[in-house]
Amino acid sequence: MTAALAEKGIRAVPPAGITPPRTARRRRRAVDDGTPRWQIYLPLGLYLLFTLVPFYWMLLFAVRPAGSTSLVPWPATGEHFAKVWNERSFGMYFQNSMLVGVATLITTTVVALCGGYALARFRFRGKSAFMLGLLCSQFIPGALMLVPLFEIFRNLQLINSLWSVIIAETVFQLPLSIILISGFIKNVPMALEEAAWVDGCSRFRGFCAVVLPVLRPGLIAVGSFAFVHSWNHFLFALMFLSSQDKQTIPVGLNTLIGADSVDLGALAAGGVVAAVPVVIVFAFIQKWLITGFSAGAVKG
Amino acid sequence: MSEPTNPHRRSRLIAATALIATLALTATACGDSGTKSGDEGKGQGKIVFWDNNGGVRTAVWKQIIAAFEKKNPDIKVEYVGIPIADVQKKYDTAIAGGGLPDVGGVGTAYLANMVAQNALEPLTDRIDGSALKGKLVTGMVTSVLAAGGDAKQLYEVPTSANQGTLWYRTDLFTAAGLQPPTTWAGLYAAADKLTDVESNKFGFTLRGGKGSIAQALEMMYAQSGIDTFWNGDRTTVNDPRNIAALEKYAGLYKKATPEADLNNDFVKMVAEFDQGSIGMLQHNLGSYTDHVKAFGKDRIDGIPLPPSTDGGVRTVVSNPVDGLGLFKSGTNKAAAWKFIEFAASAEMNSLWNESAGAIPANTGTAGDKWITDAKPTKAAMDSPNDPKTKIVQFPYYLPDWNSITKADSEPDFQKLLLGKTSAKDFADKLADKLNAAQADYKKHKS
Repeated sequence: MTAALAEKGIRAVPPAGITPPRTARRRRRAVDDGTPRWQIYLPLGLYLLFTLVPFYWMLLFAVRPAGSTSLVPWPATGEHFAKVWNERSFGMYFQNSMLVGVATLITTTVVALCGGYALARFRFRGKSAFMLGLLCSQFIPGALMLVPLFEIFRNLQLINSLWSVIIAETVFQLPLSIILISGFIKNVPMALEEAAWVDGCSRFRGFCAVVLPVLRPGLIAVGSFAFVHSWNHFLFALMFLSSQDKQTIPVGLNTLIGADSVDLGALAAGGVVAAVPVVIVFAFIQKWLITGFSAGAVKG
Repeated sequence: MSEPTNPHRRSRLIAATALIATLALTATACGDSGTKSGDEGKGQGKIVFWDNNGGVRTAVWKQIIAAFEKKNPDIKVEYVGIPIADVQKKYDTAIAGGGLPDVGGVGTAYLANMVAQNALEPLTDRIDGSALKGKLVTGMVTSVLAAGGDAKQLYEVPTSANQGTLWYRTDLFTAAGLQPPTTWAGLYAAADKLTDVESNKFGFTLRGGKGSIAQALEMMYAQSGIDTFWNGDRTTVNDPRNIAALEKYAGLYKKATPEADLNNDFVKMVAEFDQGSIGMLQHNLGSYTDHVKAFGKDRIDGIPLPPSTDGGVRTVVSNPVDGLGLFKSGTNKAAAWKFIEFAASAEMNSLWNESAGAIPANTGTAGDKWITDAKPTKAAMDSPNDPKTKIVQFPYYLPDWNSITKADSEPDFQKLLLGKTSAKDFADKLADKLNAAQADYKKHKS
């Protein structure tokens, strides 16, 4: 009977106070396909260690008093955080980065949604060439476009405005986002939309009522990707923004490294400040992110 | 019979054409480049100042700007801090696309590049007509003249210089019964004696990653005693005495240094030293404040690199000189020049260099208390005045200097440390590139 239950994936729980036989315990140490658990957890643990050590190092330097060589973050101090936040204007940089990140997220998602829908649902001349163009644009590094973009923004009076960074980030994010979103939309049966039209919806209304709710994982994937990329991007912010009060976190971090000296405590504290939003974003959206990317990858 | 035209289609076509035309016009519109001739202005109003070492020196610059604005209430200075690692890229973009500041921090390492692009105003006449005349350290003026590639014109007002310094842990030396490393034999012996690999203690830390070549050249010329970079049109980099010195220096790797030094840039190297288990570090005065923060003044000292032979000539290389440049495209040059003059004055120059731990360019600062109190700075300042000290001028004027000594040669230096190439092959390859760059430079100049 126990074997029959196990076949159905139901694990028998022994009554309290009764030790299960050795064979059952051994089986519990293995996963369903018979692989011992340690063969999974040991490599995972080692990989986790490898990934987390740099973070530990950053945290250690961020909370360790200047001059300390302790390998544990105790006694801890908040002096480095206070320094970067107050003296080095990280509060302002944080606010600017957040503005750029959120605006890029919104504009990228909205435009990618429109473009992706057009690619998924309409047949038009040059569609394949357009898709190819989108893919090829991924090979152009941002640095190559720096001077032309600088001139365009200067002529549009957008130099030293956060909009220049938002527009540039959006433009560079769009090709991949459009391709991903169009993949998600192709996965939604056309019959659903048609049913909405039959019920009297316009194309836009039908899209909002039927397609949009199904696209949530895809939108979260594309939006978070756009946010994280613009949050971390350094080059455009450095080049297009000139006043101190417009700078973003990555530029602020770089100013903590001088020509011949570096305040490691402040640099680590700045790194923690820069990493926290990204970690929070991923912690909340990881479920949708994985679903979103895998769903978009099925059909292209 | 022709097909009737769809009015919606036609309007879409017109809209698309208009959009493309607008974008094309926007993209190709000619902006004023960074090299246009500006204007003297009225000597008042707003000026923009780009600090080429932004962040680290922001506080002291804000202090200087506040003092300037108090003295000149009709001039406002907008401060913009640029990260040092990307300042050249930022200047190059602004030169190409416009948007240069009125005043900017400019180092001799990229001065030639900016002069070649016609971005900077010549300053010799302005200096001669100002309170700075005769007040600037001769060695720094010579370096700036050489770096600009024009023997008659200064394209920046020097404000500070740095010098290679041998930092050593006095407490570790005393505990090991060692004398300060004032000779090369003493330096190598101390590196050996202070190393205990099993206990993770090392006598020396070197720079194997980004920026390794300047450091290696400094060690080579200081040991060999060769006091000129060029012998005619051929570089002395691959002189047998320099090759021998390079062999000894690279030989320290893994024998007296941590293995991780292979990838050290200055940040990692200084951080490694400040962890406390390394005896010596060759860097410059700029890291003084970091060492003092880590060890306190009593456990650290800095001295110039030893002379090539006991009591013989001490060869030091020309470290980049930092200064302030006036941009040609500025529309308020009179006010901008007032700011440069003020920032380079003895009082402000002293204030800035005390904060940076560097050597001031204004001779009026020589007797300031902070200089006499900071032993390493005082030693570095006195060293060039010693008749036995010779300065090797690096050819910063070569447009390819940075690419040759960085991207081209740093991987080769790592191969040398790993024993995959010889000191001779490394030096010959570097010398070939420098000789070619010099020939090219002369050809274009003539």
